[in-house]
Amino acid sequence: MTEETITIDSISNGILNNLLTTLIQDIVARETTQQQLLKTRYPDLRSYYFDPNGSLDINGLQKQQESSQYIHCENCGRDVSANRLAAHLQRCLSRGARR
Amino acid sequence: MTMDTAQLKSQIQQYLVESGNYELISNELKARLLQEGWVDKVKDLTKSEMNINESTNFTQILSTVEPKALEIVSDSTRETVLKQIREFLEGIVDTQ
Repeated sequence: MTEETITIDSISNGILNNLLTTLIQDIVARETTQQQLLKTRYPDLRSYYFDPNGSLDINGLQKQQESSQYIHCENCGRDVSANRLAAHLQRCLSRGARR
Repeated sequence: MTMDTAQLKSQIQQYLVESGNYELISNELKARLLQEGWVDKVKDLTKSEMNINESTNFTQILSTVEPKALEIVSDSTRETVLKQIREFLEGIVDTQ
């Protein structure tokens, strides 16, 4: 009787193990294939930099204040601060390129 | 009459698949593992192993990921699915 219980237990464990390893193989196969594809398409691909303190950006460089960056507005020809660009474009474009 | 263990195992496996129970159990397991975040953990583990080893070789990555992934399956999921399999086996195997 004990022998039978052990057999059922061992077979159950074997089946669960089979299911789990199949899932793991599936995940690893997908991830490795995806990585290979990315490497082939973009040979210079670098993964994004992660700074736990949040002081560096995704390229591992010091974060810049948005207000210190100026973007040239093609519509009116002025240089606009990055954190004002969206608001500027909304007004600039709605005025029909007058300014 | 004694039956070869491997033969018995393959018969049980075949019956499990034919009766549709294999799929049911497999789906239940997948859903539980997805819910508890195991799938994401294994994905992250695979990515970090690929970075550490600087390799995308399936066999190499699998050999390092598999034991770790098996270890992080929660006890509750393991127990629930094992119970399901055991119940099914007890229904079909003659324990006399």
